[in-house]
Parts: sequence; C-alpha cells; structure tokens
Amino acid sequence: MAKSLFEEKLNSGKFLITTEVGPPKGTDISELEHHIDLLKDNVDAINVTDHQSSIMRYPSLGGCLLVKERGGEPILQMTCRDRNRMALQADLLFAHSRGVNNVLALTGDSIDVGDHPEVKPVFDMESAQLLTMIRTLESGKDAAGNELKGAPEFCIGASVHPSADFIEPQLIKFDKKVAAGATFFQTQGIFELASFRRFMQYASQYNVKILAGIIVMSSAGMARYMNKSVPGIIIPQEVIDELATAEKGKGLQKGIEIAVRMIREIEENNLCDGVHIMAVGNEGIVPEIIEAALMEKVET
Amino acid sequence: MLASGIDSKVIPKSSQAQAKESTFDHSLMPPCQAACPLHMEIREYIDLIAQGKVMEALKVIRDGNPFPSICAFVCTHPCENNCRRAQVDNPLAIRALKRFAVDFGGDRMIELEAETIYDEKMGVVGSGPAGLGCAYYLRKLGYPVTIFEAYLEMGGMLRVGIPQYRLPREVLDTEIQRLIQMGVEIRTNTRVVSIDLLSEMGYKAIFLTIGAHQSLRLGIEGEDNAGVIDGATFLREVNLGLKPRLGKKVAVVGGGNVAIDAARTAVRLGAKEVSILYRRSREEMPADPEEIEQALQEEIEISYLTAPTGIKSLDGHLEVTCVKMKLGEPDASGRRRPVPIEGSEITEEFDTLITAIGQAPQVPEDFKLRIGRGSTIQVDPVTLTTTRAGVFAGGDAVTGPATVTEALATGRQAAHRMHDYVRHNYPLPEENEKNVLSGDLLSQTADMIKKADRLEPEIIPPKARTKDFRPVEMVYNWTAAVTEARRCLRCGMGAEILFQDKCATCLTCLRVCPYHVPYLDETGTIQIPADQCQACGICVTECPAGAIVLRRPYDRNHLAEELEHAIKSASEMKSKPLIIGFCCQYGLHGTGSLSDFWRRDRTGLHIVPVLCVAKVEAKHILRAFEAGAEGVFVAGCGEMCAREKTAYWLNQQAEKVRKVLEQLGLETERLQLFEPSTMEEEPVAALDQFTKKIGELYLDSILSKEVKS
Amino acid sequence: MIVVEQKPVDKIQRMIAPYEKVMILGCGTCVTVCNAGGEREVSFLREALQFAESKNGGQGHIFTEHTLKRQCDEEFMELITDQVKDIDAILSLACGIGVQTLAGYFPDTVVLPGVNTSFLGMAKDFGVWDERCAACGDCRLDETAGICPITRCTKGILNGPCAGTKNGKCEVSPEMDCAWILIYQRLERLGQLDKMRRYYPPRNFRPIPRPRRIVASPSVAAVGGNNG
Repeated sequence: MAKSLFEEKLNSGKFLITTEVGPPKGTDISELEHHIDLLKDNVDAINVTDHQSSIMRYPSLGGCLLVKERGGEPILQMTCRDRNRMALQADLLFAHSRGVNNVLALTGDSIDVGDHPEVKPVFDMESAQLLTMIRTLESGKDAAGNELKGAPEFCIGASVHPSADFIEPQLIKFDKKVAAGATFFQTQGIFELASFRRFMQYASQYNVKILAGIIVMSSAGMARYMNKSVPGIIIPQEVIDELATAEKGKGLQKGIEIAVRMIREIEENNLCDGVHIMAVGNEGIVPEIIEAALMEKVET
Repeated sequence: MLASGIDSKVIPKSSQAQAKESTFDHSLMPPCQAACPLHMEIREYIDLIAQGKVMEALKVIRDGNPFPSICAFVCTHPCENNCRRAQVDNPLAIRALKRFAVDFGGDRMIELEAETIYDEKMGVVGSGPAGLGCAYYLRKLGYPVTIFEAYLEMGGMLRVGIPQYRLPREVLDTEIQRLIQMGVEIRTNTRVVSIDLLSEMGYKAIFLTIGAHQSLRLGIEGEDNAGVIDGATFLREVNLGLKPRLGKKVAVVGGGNVAIDAARTAVRLGAKEVSILYRRSREEMPADPEEIEQALQEEIEISYLTAPTGIKSLDGHLEVTCVKMKLGEPDASGRRRPVPIEGSEITEEFDTLITAIGQAPQVPEDFKLRIGRGSTIQVDPVTLTTTRAGVFAGGDAVTGPATVTEALATGRQAAHRMHDYVRHNYPLPEENEKNVLSGDLLSQTADMIKKADRLEPEIIPPKARTKDFRPVEMVYNWTAAVTEARRCLRCGMGAEILFQDKCATCLTCLRVCPYHVPYLDETGTIQIPADQCQACGICVTECPAGAIVLRRPYDRNHLAEELEHAIKSASEMKSKPLIIGFCCQYGLHGTGSLSDFWRRDRTGLHIVPVLCVAKVEAKHILRAFEAGAEGVFVAGCGEMCAREKTAYWLNQQAEKVRKVLEQLGLETERLQLFEPSTMEEEPVAALDQFTKKIGELYLDSILSKEVKS
Repeated sequence: MIVVEQKPVDKIQRMIAPYEKVMILGCGTCVTVCNAGGEREVSFLREALQFAESKNGGQGHIFTEHTLKRQCDEEFMELITDQVKDIDAILSLACGIGVQTLAGYFPDTVVLPGVNTSFLGMAKDFGVWDERCAACGDCRLDETAGICPITRCTKGILNGPCAGTKNGKCEVSPEMDCAWILIYQRLERLGQLDKMRRYYPPRNFRPIPRPRRIVASPSVAAVGGNNG
C-alpha cells in the first residue's frame, strides 16, 4: 500500500511534475500561501525547501503543514546541516503525525554560503545516513536501537547530480542512496541531455523514479551568479549565451522558453519519470510553463 | 603536580643564561688567512673595503703587516691561491685590494713611533724583508735595534733583486724612513764578518738574515766568458743605477722569478730579442704565472725543455749550444727530471747570457754556524735558534730563495723569540689556533651564488711599459675596488645553531636559506655547515626560536648597538619629526652612487648603518617607532645585493610591522623600503618625498591632538 | 602540530590593560614552529606592545620576557616560579593547553592568552599551514586512503561527495579541494574503490566524553580530580 498520495502517483507510471516553494524570512507567510494556492492543482507534489542556501527561513515542516492545509501534497525537504539525530527523529515523528509523509533527504548546503556564517554546523549525519535512519524508524526502532511506541511511514527520496564533472563518485553515492531506501530522486538542474541520458541508462538497473530538475532562469546574469555562488550548479556556456540573446526585460521569457523546450524533449523521449521545476523567485510562472509544455493539468 | 616518581628538580639549566654572553667569537679562520705567512685578517679588511671604510681596512692590514705597501706590490699571494671564490668563478684579487687600501687609506701619512723600554741592544744583520720586519717588531717591543747592511742601500733583495717596475724605489724608501723615525739605527756599508765582535759590542741577541745572493753556477764549459753574467749580479747592478751593455740578443737561463725579472729588465734596457731557456715545461716553471704572462706580452720568448751545454766566445758574440730535454721520472722536489734527448743539440748566437738558476747564501766560516743543504744556515724552525746561543737566523739565508711575505713572517717570529730569550721568558704554549675552515663548496650552494668575474687592476700595455721602469700595475679606482671586495664569500663568519636546545627543528632555516645550506643529519638534527654558509643572515632573522647566531660578535651586536646609538642622539637633538633610516653600508647606499642619499644634512634624520638589510628585524623597526620615530625607512641594495633574496625577506619583516601599525590605527606608509630600483633617476627625490609625507602625517597628528583637547 | 595565530596587538593591549607587571611567556615547541609564540615572537610582541604604549602616552606596563621549552608540562614552570611571584599577569603565547596548564600551576596569577589556538595541521611551505586532523578520537584514514573526510570535507560527511562539488572543488571556495574527489582519486589509484562503495553509518561523535582523558594503564596512580 502506498504510504502517501505522492507514492501512489510515483507508482502510477504517469509523467510527474513537482515544484518547490521557499518559505519567507519572517512570520509573513502570505506570499508562501499565495504560491501554494497557485501551484497545488497544477503539480503532483510541492517541495518546501529547508533553509535553502543556508539562509535562515521559516521552517520547511511548517511550510509543509501549510501545503497540507491548503489541499496540496507536500514533500518535506530535510537537511542535516542544522539538526542532530535527536532533533531529526523528533521532526520525522511529528511530520508523520500531521500527515506529511514525503521526505527528500539532503545533506544540506554548507554554512559558509549562507547568511549566518558564524553558527555551528551540525552535520551529525548526511543524506544516505538520513535515509537509512528513516527506514530504521519505519521498522519500529530509533537510531540508537530503542523500541518506538508507534512507528512512522514515509515515501523517501534523495537528490542526484547526473551532470557532475566527476561522475563516478556521484554514481557511488547514488548507489548508496538507493541501497538506503530512496524510492525517488529529484536531480540537480539539467541543461543538456547527453549526460542525462547516460545517467538514466545507469539508473535503469534500479526500480526508482527519477524526476529531472529544471531550473528557470531570468537572465544571463542570474545564470552566471548561480554558476559562481550556488553549490553544485554548473550552467553550460551555450545556455548562458542563449539567455544573453534575449532583449532587455525579456530575460525571463527566454528562461521560460528554455525550460519548456527541455521539459518537452524529456517527456516526448520518455527520458525519465517526470520533472521537478525550480523557479526560485518566480514561482508564479510555473503554471505557464507546464501549460506551455502541453502537459495535462493534474487532477488531485 | 603529578604524583609519579619524577624528580622535578632535575631540569637542564636554561640556555638563556648562556645567551647573555654576546662576546664570544666562533668564526673560523678562512683559507686565505691560513695560507698567508703572516695570517693577516684578510676577510676582515676586505669586508671593510666593501663598506668603503678604507682607513679602517688599512688599520687591520697594518695590525698584521708592518710593510703593507711592499706586500701590496710583490706578495706572491698564497691567499688568492687558496681563495674559495675560485670554486664559483675566480679568486678575489686580494693583493690588488691591499694596494688599494694602502694607496687610498693614506698609508703614506702614517707615522710610526716607538719608545725604548729595555736596555738590551738587539742586532739585525741584513736589511731584507726579514731583517726589516724583525727590527720593526723589536723596536715596537721597546728595544734599541741596529740593522747592519753590507750594501750601500737598505732593503736586501727588495732593493737589489726585485726590479723597480715591480716595486718602486719610493715605496721601499718610505718604509725605511719610517723605521728610522721609530728609532731603529741603520748602519749601511757595514759588512758583519764576526758574530763574536757583535757580542763584544754589547748586542744581547742577534738575528742573521743575510739572504741568498750568490748565484748558482751552470757548471758548463765557457761559463766564465765575458758576456755571461749571473742574474743576481745583473739585477743588483741595474737596481743600483748601472746600465750594463747587453747587445741585441740576450738569453736568460732559468725558470724562476729571478729569470723572469732578468729577462724583463733586459727588455727595458733595450735588448731587441730576449729569450728564456728553461729545462722543463711551462707547468713546472716556478715563476709566478702573472709574471710569465706579462713577460710573454713583452715579446720575450720562452724555450721550454731547453738547456745550455756549452758556451764559446766568437767575434764578440757568444755561441751557445743547447740540447733539447724530455721529462722523465720525478726528482726529489717532485718535479719530473729533465733528460737530454740524444743528438738534439742546436747552437745559437747571443750577445749576452744571464744565468738565473738559483741563489745560495754565503755564510762566513767565521760565524761558526752549522750549515746545511744549499749552503743555508741550519735552525730549529720553531725557535729560529742556531747552534750559538743568542744567535737566531731566518729568511733566505735559512730557507733558500723564498717569498717576501714568508721572510716578513720569519722576522716577526724572530723578534718575539729574541725578546723571550733576553727576558728569560718561559715560553708560553702556542695559543689555540682558531679552527681553519676547510671543505669545498657543494654545487647546490655554488650554483646559487651570483657570478661576477674578477676585476683586474689596469696594467699598462706592453709597448708602453717596456720603455722604462715605472710600475706596470695601476691601482684600482674606488668603484672597482668596492665591487671586487664584495665578491668575498665571507668564509667562516656565517651562521651557527648556537642553542641546540632551543632549536625546535621547525625547518625554517632549511626552507628560507637561498643557498640550500642547512640540512637534516641522520639523527634528525639540523646542521648548518660552516664551510657552505654564505653569511647572508636570513636564517638568523627568521629563526622563530632565536637559536641561530652569527659567529662574529660584531655581526651579532652591531645593529642593536647602532640603533640605540641613533636613538640616543635623536633624543638629544630633539628635532621633529624624527625619521630613522636603516641604511646598508655595502653597495650603492654605502659606497656607491646612492651614498648621497642620506649623507646630506637633514634635520631629524638619523641613520642606523647596517651590514646588509637582511639583519634588520621587525623588532628593530618597531623599536625605532617606539623611540619616537614618525617614519622609518630601510634602504637596501635590492637585487644588487651580493647575497640572494635579502630584499624578499626584509619585506617579510616589514609586513609584520605593517600589520601591527594597522592594528594600532597608524598609517602603514610610515614604513618605507628603498631599493635602487625604486629610486629611479633622482635617488634623493625618493627620500624627499618620504620626508615630506612624514612631515604631513606628523602635522596632522599634532593638529588632531589639539582638536581633541 | 598545533597551529596557532597571534591575536591582534590592539586586542592584546586591551587584555593586559588592567595589569602593570606583565610577563610575556613564549613556548619553545609547536608555537615556535608555526612562528607565533617562540622566543623571537615574544621579543617582537614586547616591542610592539611597548611601541603601542608609547603611542598612548604610556600606560605604565613593565614587561619581562621568558620562553619555556613547553608549557604543557608543569615541570618547566618551576623555572619561573620565583619571577612569577612578582608579576601581575602572564601573557602566554602558548596554545590553549599551555595557557590552562599555567593557570592551574599559578592559581594566584592572572594568565592571559596571547594567541588563538586554531587547529592541528602541517606546514605546506614556509609560512603556510593547513589543517589536517580534527582529533576525533576514531581515526578512519584507512578507509579513505589517508585523506581525512572529517577535517578536509567542510561538512565532514562519510559517504561523500555531496552535490555541491564543482570542478573538483568544494562549494565553499574555488580554491578548496573537494576532499571526496581527492579520496576517490587516490582510492582509484590504489585500486581500493570498494572502500568508497561501502556504506558508512553516522559516526560516534563522543568516543570519549569531553573533557577527555586518556590513562596509559590501570597501574598509574589516580591523579586526583576529574580532569579539571
């Protein structure tokens, strides 16, 4: 039996679309609510980020509760940067109790790239170990081996980097995450398909679902900034050049164009099980992208 | 405290107690000094010349040598032959530098004095270098001294043997005059025939130094023909003013300095063709290579492996038969014995034949001394005593023909032995000689040393110089001398790890040394081999434990002392703003074109002279600031430093100071480093700019203080 | 080796402000090697403080200097017991271990730290020190071809790399190598990549509870106190 609505969809075989929202730096959640409302009926699940880029924000778990309240399907992004095993287990028990049953297990960005550079980084665990721990909780024991009074259930996933420059270490990690129990993967931004295809050929040995990450950029400048400052993102020069051809003020259009083209190609060629659209700061245009890619709107 | 059984009282004594001693001298004697018969402090006077301190250099020279002007012309420089710079490029021109010091240091002006402390009369027989030297030292010790000289003129071989183009008459005369000024009694034209007579006259101790003036005979037929002269007589006559008639073609038999001197003298007297006949090959010729070279330039022919076998007189010429030789087995002297080649006789015509195959002393039988090989007087080499009590001997009369400097050294030795004898002193055991530095430069070090060819003093071209008997070699000019002096490798005065217990083996010295000198031995201890160290001083400044020191006390202490001196005089003068500048004494700032840089009067500027800026440490600069300097500069030689990387490491020290200045809220421009390349065309302009800037900062600080109050 | 860095002079100035007679005490071992607290630095610091003082019109400090071979063994402190009687504060340039040992040995004297103890590391070159060890107490360098993931990976993860690696460098800085790429390359070179394929569970962060103590053997007499 599927542990969550999203897991059901994962098992259904249809082309999936997920996206993400970032909580605010503060208590004013009006924009977050607005984005959730905009997206919940157009996608199969919504990720809520956890202090993305190590910038302190309203908690991911809180955001997931909001998604749930408003009728959407949340995926809890959980990083190991800020909490030790005790805190993570507690959050997982709570999440389950409130019906938040999808978890994306991440190691987390380093403290240095964020806005609180002096705090103590925790990293008591990392993503593969977190996945293992969640499966352990599901089996009725905590991380120290003690019996649980009531075990949670989760649909768990992780991230993967198919276009990394040193691919073999990433594949080794991928193997470990699959072995630890991940059932779905959302990839880092895909910008060219040759390396993605090769990765998919490798991944086909496993019974896991892969959603290709699609990053929507609004300008060549933004692309360059991301190259420089955002961990792990490598945007090829051709893409930056293409963004640069946009007229002034039309950068976002160009970014949307590129994203739509990518999604189409992936869907038409059956390259993977779906896409994960990341439109940081421009969550509003996601429905437009989906429509432009001639997707059927998802009925929840 | 631990409750274990450790006896906490047994702790090694702190080496910091030893550190208080700053006066020890661990420098090693360099090979140049070891080779010099007088053991002169060559490294020291060359260093002083490099700093432009010529008068001080001359003082060091005179401390070791009473007649530096003579040696400056004719010494055979065993120092140069042992100079380790030869392992890099060429040896230092030490003799030429000594001559420079003598000329530029005002040797001529120096007046000598002596007072008579003792009654005992001392007699010196012979006024060659050994006799003159002995007389000088005896006089200095306080004895009444008389020199007896058989000839009319003083000087022995210096006067009658060495031609004037090698040792000018005036130089010798000046030295003799000085001896007379000191109170030495001179009796020329007085041949001593009996030692007993001298004793009756009241001389308590006598030094016999009658030289070796008797030429050896060839031992061939026709040697007594007119037209055959012996070299010693020939040179004597010329030096005494006579002009023997030589004719056109002259042959000289022999291969030593006397033969060369005779040949070159013949050229100057007008002989058209002069050849030297020598029975061995060039390698075995005992004459100075420089002399041989100059002779060849003067178109003197040298026939090697040639020896005369007979002389006939014919029509006013000489017919000389010679035979060619080949080299066979080595003889007693170690040189290969020449063997005549059968049937190789040739005959040549000459107008004059001069024999110069060696000299021997002529010792009167009446002296009743034991005579040894080569007709020399036998003595104990340590005490110079003969078989007669109170009679000492030395110089060529004892050794056979040898060098001027060796004779001088013997004279000094004799004076002290005679003093001991007369005073009934118990002879003290030899002072512990300093360790002599030995060892060759490893290529890893030699490769890093800046190459610079030896600067030779100017020599008058052959055509011009053979016209008369003026000196052949000119003296260095200032720039040449200072530049040549800077090539010295400073053997034996480098760095040593004095406090091995402080050394944390951090490997800093190993890493910063530009010459790859410090190394880890098999016990994991750092060694700084004295024979490789180039005495740049960088490791001393950089060692974090302060475990490395420079061997000479002066090098260790001078900077701190000069700094305190400058601070004191600054505090007395009280001019504001105060600027303290550390200025290198070598190179351009000390002696060269930039010495103007700080020499002009500037109010408020106090200079700390340093021997290379590698010795300037951050704490010295801070001390200057602490003492009230508004600005501090360090002027070094940059890339022109005789040592590698000194500018780089100075900058490291400056960085430390700049950090502190910043942390204390002061402008980092208050510290400035000057190098020749930063000075552009107008060096003084750079300092002017700095002074101006400091003045502005000073005014600002005063104004802001006023505003605050 | 323990690598330390001298505190800025103005900070030290403020720290010693209330005390008149200050002894600057260097250490002859680790801090000498890393050029921050040895005899030369003691001299330099004294000079800097005196200069700083002269700039402020003098606060009337009286400085003395001394360097002990080590400040982590009490026996060395006996050598300065007499001098310390007359001192108001010791400005120690030793690492944190030395400062605390000093403070424990001279409980009636104020002991101040003149340096920041930064890390355990090695000298890459003259003047350049790199951190190498986190003293985790559970060394696993056999698993990672001699490259410590705890020290050299900024997140200290055991199943690396994370997704932030770019061009073989860490997301933190383009100059910092990604430790896990280095580990991967070296394991490959040694033919031991299977070590990287293994799953490593989360590590034991407290093999010995802090503050840690190691006792060589049970026969060593109880030292008294509880590591305080």
